[in-house]
Amino acid sequence: MVLAVGTKKGGFLFHSADRRKWSVAGPHMPGRAVYHMIVDPRDGRTVYAGAPMTAEPWGPAVYRGRIGSELKSSASAPKFKEGSGLSVTRIWHIEPGPADEPETIYAGVEPAALFRSEDRGDTWEGFDALNYHPTRKDWQPGNGGLCLHSVLVDPRKPKHIVIGISAVGTFETKDGGLSWTTENKGVRAEFMPNRYPEMGQCVHKLAWDAAGDGSIFHQNHCGTYHRGPSGGAWTEVSKGLPSDFGFPIAAHPHEKRTAFVAPLTADVNRVFPKGQMAVWKTSNAGERWRRSTKGLPGPNAFMGVLREGMAVDAGDPLGVYVGTNTGQLFASRDEGDSWKMIADFLPPILSVQAAEAR
Amino acid sequence: MVTHVSPEEVVRTGILVRIPPALRSYTQGQDEVVVEARDVRGLLDALEAAFPGIRDRVMDEAGRRRQYVNIFHNDELTRDPLPDIRLAPGDVVHILPSVAGG
Repeated sequence: MVLAVGTKKGGFLFHSADRRKWSVAGPHMPGRAVYHMIVDPRDGRTVYAGAPMTAEPWGPAVYRGRIGSELKSSASAPKFKEGSGLSVTRIWHIEPGPADEPETIYAGVEPAALFRSEDRGDTWEGFDALNYHPTRKDWQPGNGGLCLHSVLVDPRKPKHIVIGISAVGTFETKDGGLSWTTENKGVRAEFMPNRYPEMGQCVHKLAWDAAGDGSIFHQNHCGTYHRGPSGGAWTEVSKGLPSDFGFPIAAHPHEKRTAFVAPLTADVNRVFPKGQMAVWKTSNAGERWRRSTKGLPGPNAFMGVLREGMAVDAGDPLGVYVGTNTGQLFASRDEGDSWKMIADFLPPILSVQAAEAR
Repeated sequence: MVTHVSPEEVVRTGILVRIPPALRSYTQGQDEVVVEARDVRGLLDALEAAFPGIRDRVMDEAGRRRQYVNIFHNDELTRDPLPDIRLAPGDVVHILPSVAGG
């Protein structure tokens, strides 16, 4: 197993044969804010990362390399069209493409836009119908920026893509990106005069439900949601959680209707409630939630977890991983029932991803 | 054509561009290069032709100088719009990051 961990000051790879003892390699891209770092699950050895080129002032880059080798910037980074007046300032998310397109990757960037590469990041094409969507003039950044951070590519039909943009909402295409619809029905926006606008909801993270039928879990600035296979309105499933605010959501890869969240106190106090770090699990699409704290710090642990800070592996029993914005990395080998800290004193953790190394 | 030359030759042939450490991966480690250009637009074009990718580190795709990248022309900080700033043989251009970040 390998964990790719992006931090505010570089990226790290944690390796383990048994998920008990871990070794660390890194930092890669030292000193740079690595917003997202992954090991490509399709080959188990290619690492991708989004980070500034050399240092923050010089613009963003997509990094690529094999596990164990130096990561190098790809030949080009995603860019808007000349004349658009827009420029990419940060890579927020890198998503592997379909299994039968091993060189395809997607990048979600700031200011919000989606790009696709068919050559592992050397050249990029933008999704113009989304990136220059007629509503773009009304897109307003959230506290973290106008970032496109969630990219769900349907493994059954790769032309079906769902994306999330902070403080703008969820968009969906079923025709490979030629047209996009807003998908925010039923999602609250407490910071808007109309609590249920067509657009403007602050989606924090999206994850496919393992049901494999197109169902989606959704952690929002204002609640936790689930949407069924037929699409349409989201169902709020925040009841039973300690708050309606959190960043990450990770779905079980095999057990349908099962997901993990890490609610924080509130948007005005982004730390775990009562200083007790906790991960909450549902096995029925949010009808009920169960709290897990065994092995997690508290009651004087006042930190948070960012949107990419939670991951699951594909093991049986499932491994779950959480990285905090105070630099601790926790792992569970029993589907989230108990936890063990596997690293401390890292820089603030921006992303965690798990893959089977090959 | 970009080469590493003596100061005397710079005066005769073109603009001396000082390359910051962060961008020397593009210039094969050279800390200064000489280009022939009449203005900053031409300078960036010449740099890009010789060292593909380097212009994107100074200017974004909207044609704006990156926020924390400074260009000094004969030791004076230049102001936008950069591309129209006139240059003359013997001029020296520094590309430097500003003090920013954390």
